[in-house]
Amino acid sequence: MMGDDEILRRWFVDEVLPLERDLERFIARHCRNRDEVADLRQETYARMLAGAAAERPRSARAFLFTVARNTLIDRARRAKIVSFEQVADIDIAFDGDWDATERGLTARDELRRAMAGLDLLPARCREVVRLRKVEGLDIRETAARLGVGRHTVERQLTLGLRAIANYMLGGEGRIVRTAAGQRDKDTGS
Amino acid sequence: MSARDVEQRAAAWIVQRDQPDWTSDNDAELRGWLELDHAHKAAFWRLDHGWRAADRLVALKQKTATVTATARRTRWRYAAMAMAACLICALALTVMLGIGRNRAGDPTPVRFATAVGGQRDVTLADGSRIKLNTDSALVAEVDRTSRDVRLERGEAFFDIAHDAQHPFVIRAGDRRITVLGTRFSVRRDGATVRVAVVEGRVRVEDSESSAGAAAIVTAGNVAVAHGASLLVVDRSPQVVDDTLSWRRGRLTFDQTMLGDAVAEFNRYNRQQIRVNDDRAARIRIGGSFEATNSAAFARLLHTAFGLDVRTEGDTIIISS
Repeated sequence: MMGDDEILRRWFVDEVLPLERDLERFIARHCRNRDEVADLRQETYARMLAGAAAERPRSARAFLFTVARNTLIDRARRAKIVSFEQVADIDIAFDGDWDATERGLTARDELRRAMAGLDLLPARCREVVRLRKVEGLDIRETAARLGVGRHTVERQLTLGLRAIANYMLGGEGRIVRTAAGQRDKDTGS
Repeated sequence: MSARDVEQRAAAWIVQRDQPDWTSDNDAELRGWLELDHAHKAAFWRLDHGWRAADRLVALKQKTATVTATARRTRWRYAAMAMAACLICALALTVMLGIGRNRAGDPTPVRFATAVGGQRDVTLADGSRIKLNTDSALVAEVDRTSRDVRLERGEAFFDIAHDAQHPFVIRAGDRRITVLGTRFSVRRDGATVRVAVVEGRVRVEDSESSAGAAAIVTAGNVAVAHGASLLVVDRSPQVVDDTLSWRRGRLTFDQTMLGDAVAEFNRYNRQQIRVNDDRAARIRIGGSFEATNSAAFARLLHTAFGLDVRTEGDTIIISS
């Protein structure tokens, strides 16, 4: 039902997403492969939404880290890379341990952070994102302005969007290319 | 699909959704995709939220140079130079196209719409923010020098960036609402236009003739315009705030007739409520309800007033 969905979305955005930085650190502690952290974070979110859709937990934080822990354990079992004893060590002593999450950035912080995120992007991607966010141009206008194909603009914007969103949520704001993204990396320069 | 592919797909949806050629069919398609998997929702909601958090970048609009100025690390120097070159090209292009631009001086219209039960936050090029309510559509033509919005249907809450040089003009049906910087909502039901002001003042008048009714609506006032008449009601700020509780996903009623309350609910839901008899429709109700949960509202009517509630297909029928 659409109504329930909207409530779930708000809960996710207001209660869960502010914990993303802590969550990623928690996962990174137990998973050395950096690329896998994002996958595990995503899997944790998906499982958590499925659980929360059935019954909303009282503490988003406790619930999130419990789900993250289970996700890590399942991964270890699947991959058979860690002994079960090690898995048992995945404690959820996450409270107090880390800095308080930055809830509610002020408008100025938000702008500063967005600028820093923009700064981290590769030049062309940055320009495409800038034309979208600052100048408000759509894909067609951006393509005309930069003299490149719409497809190129679309791809750069998609990559930039992911990196900026990641940075705004406390991540590193790195560009993460998918296999397909890499393949046609240099069309339309 | 790997988590990364899902994220890529979600990002592509967001990019597409913000384009002017986005249709309601696309919207249905997107909703279908979200319904498929919680992983889809997680990725989409997360990116949408993070991406929107960067909307403040619009503040850089008049001083593009700051972007390059903050690129301080040396390894970004070439990138910065490349970008400066881009800027110069862009500037040159703007100058070259200057004449054409003056002729067709209007900014590109961008259309935003919501489906039944939906809401959407929009940040315009001038920094103004709009929250679009259920089943609404508006077209914005906004840039630094001209600020023009047309409300095609439904309701929107406006938080207008102050700029005395460039009045913000909203057209709704045959009404024109002019503001300098304030917070208020405009709702359009066919020919009736309702303006509720939370802060500041706005001017409501006929779009066509200057001879028609005009009024200044100040904070706490609600103006209702229909045809040649324009009624301004002085309400308490609390009442105005209640009529805007939809921004928090709620509907607030105070001594409202059930018939009117139901009409409100029906704006937000595909599942419609019908009140079968006059006696039930005239019951006065009050309280705050979740806008998209008409079933819960109907259940409450049964519990509180002993009304008969039954469901037929997509309709909830209420009778005494």
